[in-house]
Amino acid sequence: MNKLYIYLFGFLLFGLLPSCNHDDWFEREPQNIIVDEQLWNDPELIKSLLANYYNRLPSLHGVFNVGGMSEIDDAMYSGHFDQNWRNDFEYGDDYGRYWDYSFIRDINLALDNLDNYSKDLDEEQVALFKAELRFIRAFVYFELVKRMGGVPLVTEQLIYDFNGDPTNLQVPRSKEYEVYDFIFNELESIKTDLAANNNSKTRANLYIALALESRAMLYAGSLAKYNSLMASPITLSGEEVGIPANLADGYYQKSLNASLEIINSGRYSLYEANSNKELNFYEALINKDNNPETIFAKDYASELKEHWYTFENVPRSLMEDNEGSSILSPSLNLVESFDYLDGSDGALNYIDGTGNYIVYDNMTDIYNNKDARLWGTVVLPGTAIRGSNVNVQAGVAVWNGTAYELQNAPNLGDNFSDGKLWTGFDGPQDNAQFVSNTGFYTRKFISNKPGEALRNNSTNWWPWFRLGEIYLNASEAAFELGRESLALEYINLIRSRAGFPENSLTQLTLTDFQKERRHELAYEDHRYFDLKRWRLAHEIWDGNQESEEAVVYGLYPYRIVNPGHEDDSKFIYVKTRPTRFRRARFFRLANYYASIDPNVLNNNPKLVRNPYH
Amino acid sequence: MRDRRIILKSDTMKKELLFLLITLNILLVSCEYDNFDEPNATLSGNVVYENSVIGVRTNGPQFELWQGGYELKELIPVFIAQDGSYSVSLFDGEYKLVRKEGGPWMSQLTDTLVVNVQGNTILDVPVTPYFIVNDINISKNETSIDAEFSLKQIVETANLEFVNIYLGEGLLTDQNRYEAVSSADIANISFTESSMVSVEIPEELSNENFVYARIGVKSNLSNELYYTQSFKIDLN
Repeated sequence: MNKLYIYLFGFLLFGLLPSCNHDDWFEREPQNIIVDEQLWNDPELIKSLLANYYNRLPSLHGVFNVGGMSEIDDAMYSGHFDQNWRNDFEYGDDYGRYWDYSFIRDINLALDNLDNYSKDLDEEQVALFKAELRFIRAFVYFELVKRMGGVPLVTEQLIYDFNGDPTNLQVPRSKEYEVYDFIFNELESIKTDLAANNNSKTRANLYIALALESRAMLYAGSLAKYNSLMASPITLSGEEVGIPANLADGYYQKSLNASLEIINSGRYSLYEANSNKELNFYEALINKDNNPETIFAKDYASELKEHWYTFENVPRSLMEDNEGSSILSPSLNLVESFDYLDGSDGALNYIDGTGNYIVYDNMTDIYNNKDARLWGTVVLPGTAIRGSNVNVQAGVAVWNGTAYELQNAPNLGDNFSDGKLWTGFDGPQDNAQFVSNTGFYTRKFISNKPGEALRNNSTNWWPWFRLGEIYLNASEAAFELGRESLALEYINLIRSRAGFPENSLTQLTLTDFQKERRHELAYEDHRYFDLKRWRLAHEIWDGNQESEEAVVYGLYPYRIVNPGHEDDSKFIYVKTRPTRFRRARFFRLANYYASIDPNVLNNNPKLVRNPYH
Repeated sequence: MRDRRIILKSDTMKKELLFLLITLNILLVSCEYDNFDEPNATLSGNVVYENSVIGVRTNGPQFELWQGGYELKELIPVFIAQDGSYSVSLFDGEYKLVRKEGGPWMSQLTDTLVVNVQGNTILDVPVTPYFIVNDINISKNETSIDAEFSLKQIVETANLEFVNIYLGEGLLTDQNRYEAVSSADIANISFTESSMVSVEIPEELSNENFVYARIGVKSNLSNELYYTQSFKIDLN
């Protein structure tokens, strides 16, 4: 018996231990991972990698970031009380800090891999993929330079060779204008390769590259011009921050050239599908079917990739879900800044010269004849969205013989003792959450499709670039270059879409562009950067509690209760300072360029700190 | 009812308990490496120009401290109180103090102060403000607060943007928080003689026993204001 075991053991030992001669038997295609040769030779796989990269395109508070919009745009936060710090904070030294070199590395790595592995793809296809990657990299560098000033330009992988000396990996910061030049040169050299994508609105193409050029060069030009005009320009001695003033015209010219190439291509036109100009402006941003205005967008699709914007911002009474809603409350200041269509200043007439309330028959009458974009951007009291009227009324104004007593209902939707509405289901209500605190709701980007107000269920897209902006870029660049007739032509085109008569402006100042961009591009992640490049942010958001610009105000409609009088059941408007808006916006000179993370500075001693940090 | 007390039945159990106690003792004893003494030195002082203390906005301008000799560097922020004083808890050692830009004074980035902190160290930090206010005399009239002061320009290249007097219920009164404000007439302000600015006492403050008043001066070279101290003014 024992012997049998010994034989068996010996047999097994001899049978199992001898090695096999054929090493390649061990080398098999892995079944559970995709190797570089597979990935970089399969266009479908490369596209899905690109989809990941497109999804990572940076923005400060764009792409439906409601909380962020309420910090830097013309609105306040009316969401959960837990986040009321958004109405009660100062821009910190690191506000807007951005240093995503891992993304830059991913792109540089992908570019190298396309060179090394993509032998089976034809050259044009490789060129297109590489151009798209370089477009994304230029986009990331634009975001970096906007927020941090001149940053290290890293265009290839940084690989450590373990020789004990890492100094060759420590790339110093480039000058601010060198980064803008890099963006321009990159886009110029890839734009023809991108032409194959010209029919796409979601993958980089020739015109999208030009649109980025148009915006980036306009920023560079205005930084050069307006920084130098400051009493104490923000600069560093190595020009990592601060573009010399004599470069301004060159950048404006590059911006104008890029804009003109887009405009003159005839491929895009302003959205004019709806003859109602108010609805037309609203639809221009959410209509995805053959929208001729959208140049580049981040798209969303049902069941695949959705966002929360409509859930978060739909007016309270039109909620489809059980929570959320009404978070972004547009400011009175924005509403008033829209001019009347006859060209007069947009201040609303709610109080007459003697301090008495002005009485209106209908709730919307006070907004009559204002810029159509106001109606397309903001849900005004008495208007409809998603097919239903909003129910906005702050309370009743009871005439006591000498004055109005303003009374607000204990519960939204209550009726007053006269049997008619007291406070609307949509408020406004002061110091409340998930109901407007300013009297206004946001309309821009709110989906008009049923079911999309459910959480994470909206599928309208985020327009990165649209022709409306390009016209304004072209107009501003032309204005700065002294080509006034061209500037007037384009700005008036944008204004006539908003309901103004033809040639409504006959002469231009920079203020006109400040207003037009504020109106046309509200909540599109432009306001903060526009104010920065004009070097106006510290004057507009000066932290002063009495400032009309730095504080978000509201305008509450009240129904008059004065039985027997002709004014009964008509409306008055009362300007309020929302309790929840606690601290005026305060932008310091230090906020023009965010501070660099101390860990980053420690890792790379060649980096210079930003001014004021 | 059952007796739920733990009854030590035998010697082995007692031993187990003893083991448990000893083990716990060993485990809970801390390691020397993760115990640091708390910082036992302080560095404090005022921000001064020629012996007069410079007031600032509360939560506003800062200095920075750096300590060399370590692999990684991280700044120690020095917060300046509204009255121009500051105080930091530190360890004994040599520090570098940077008067960084952004305050109502000229930036002196290349002019680092080396300070040797031993125990309680007092260091007045000299700065060069764009403007300073001297000889202040604030008094209450019937319905207003009047301030007489002399304004002095220190930095030739600076332009005067405004001179304001602020009234507040509390000590922390500045451009961003106040109950009343009034601007001096810039055209009539001279840098050689004394100037006046006055502010009406607002109705909501008129019943208070006292208010605080201070003057702020803005140059065009900084977006922080120079402030005088807050003066407590009795109203009744």
